[in-house]
Amino acid sequence: MQSTSRHNYYEILELPANAPQYEVSAAYERARATYAGDNPAIYTIFSEQEARELLVFIEEAYQVLGNKILRNIYDQRLLSGRASLNDLTYSSIVEASRAAAIPEPAKTEKPEIKFKRDEAFEAEILACESWDGDFLKKVREYKNISTEKMHDITKINPYYVKGIEKMDPESLPAIVFVRGYVVQIARALGLDDKKVADTYMKSFKERLGKK
Amino acid sequence: MDREFEDNDEIISLASKLAKKNSDKETKMWVVASGKGGVGKTFITSSLAITLTKLGHSVVIVDLDLSGANVHTALGVPPSHMTIRHYFEGTKTLQELVIPTQLPHLSYVQGFWDSWSPTEFTNEQVHRLIPEIKNLRADYVLIDLGAGALECHLDLFKHADEKILVSSPEPTSIEKTYRFIESFVCHTIKENATPDAYGSMITTLRSHRQRTLQKPFSFRSYLKEQTGIHYDFFETLSATPVRLLINSSRSQQNENLGLSMRSVCNKYYDLGIDFIGAIDYDNAVWQAVRNREAVLISQPFTPLAGQFLATCKHLIAPEELRTVV
Repeated sequence: MQSTSRHNYYEILELPANAPQYEVSAAYERARATYAGDNPAIYTIFSEQEARELLVFIEEAYQVLGNKILRNIYDQRLLSGRASLNDLTYSSIVEASRAAAIPEPAKTEKPEIKFKRDEAFEAEILACESWDGDFLKKVREYKNISTEKMHDITKINPYYVKGIEKMDPESLPAIVFVRGYVVQIARALGLDDKKVADTYMKSFKERLGKK
Repeated sequence: MDREFEDNDEIISLASKLAKKNSDKETKMWVVASGKGGVGKTFITSSLAITLTKLGHSVVIVDLDLSGANVHTALGVPPSHMTIRHYFEGTKTLQELVIPTQLPHLSYVQGFWDSWSPTEFTNEQVHRLIPEIKNLRADYVLIDLGAGALECHLDLFKHADEKILVSSPEPTSIEKTYRFIESFVCHTIKENATPDAYGSMITTLRSHRQRTLQKPFSFRSYLKEQTGIHYDFFETLSATPVRLLINSSRSQQNENLGLSMRSVCNKYYDLGIDFIGAIDYDNAVWQAVRNREAVLISQPFTPLAGQFLATCKHLIAPEELRTVV
């Protein structure tokens, strides 16, 4: 992600640094609609390839600014003025958030979503050794979580949640993000995120190779 | 939105008081331009003018469309033989050519309507015209230009107090709108740059277009790095940005189009423009033109009128707004 050195995330989403959280989401939706391909506004200015590259940055910017914890870390580093460009990259910020989150505050107010327990299916989930999009979708539907609900929990665009489940690289951003998404979805579903992500990515890459 | 008009009389009486108070204020020049023809410049100009008069301001429309005058038709008045040609030939001052209309506070200057001799203005003529425009006895002078980025258009656009660029949602119009913005920026920089600096900027722009630049292009940082170019240009431009208006919008998507185009200008040129609104497509418009009357007069209480009101309010100084409404 070299080009992050030119723009900061606020510039990418064209937001003032004090924008409230709901404006971040609105700006992200606007930016997505603009650069998602067939928008006439980019005609004769950006090629499809360039629009896709812009989308990667937009996605990255929203992953950070759309998340309160990550945004806080980013803001602090940005404002300190001492942060090097390396400190402002996506991966460095995510890492910092992990380090900060070690004494993870118990999420007590986590709203419990009701679903009918099905022992046979629970066993099947536990036994699953190789995860793919279809099975993730099954588990999500079994746990009664809509793609919108998933977006509320994980801040992953519903469009991408569906893309993950379809395992469709065309409708997903760069591969580095895909793994992050799968981890977040797996956590939201109460699954072993490492196992799920490892096996999912394996079959995802196989599919990429075939295309 | 119709509610805005309910207290029309009161607004007008209040506003005319205000207008009197402001009569010694400088005349504002608004220039309406577009990259492509047929996107509704004349309709926009006349509608903005009518809306401004409803807000209690006096307005003169100057029809400077070289390809033929139209404003009188949009206003529903017969063409006059007193055209702007008399001004350019030196027989009349611009003020002498101002023709009143049936509407209070609204008058206009008839554009070229005789096609016997070719029309074109020189730079010099434009530069002499601008102070004359500023001296017209009106709060606002609205200039209706022809289509395209001709040099005289760009010159007038540059000197405008409000630069209004009209585009329709069609790709053909969007394409030409971007070309217009490009030529406008280049034209403005050219005057403040040495020939060498300007030449190398054009070369850089060309490589930007052909994607052969090493790093992403930004006008702002480029101009700062160069010598020979006065780069206070962007500060001036952010004080009076180009205002984009989308005409004959047919859906919410078209409304978002304005925001998208603003974002594209930002990302591609690092240039801030302002999106001032989308005017809905309305069948009443062409029906009114067929009857040679202005739609805002024959149908004053429509969503369309509300959109123009909102646009004008956006453009007029906010402190004035608070007193009027």
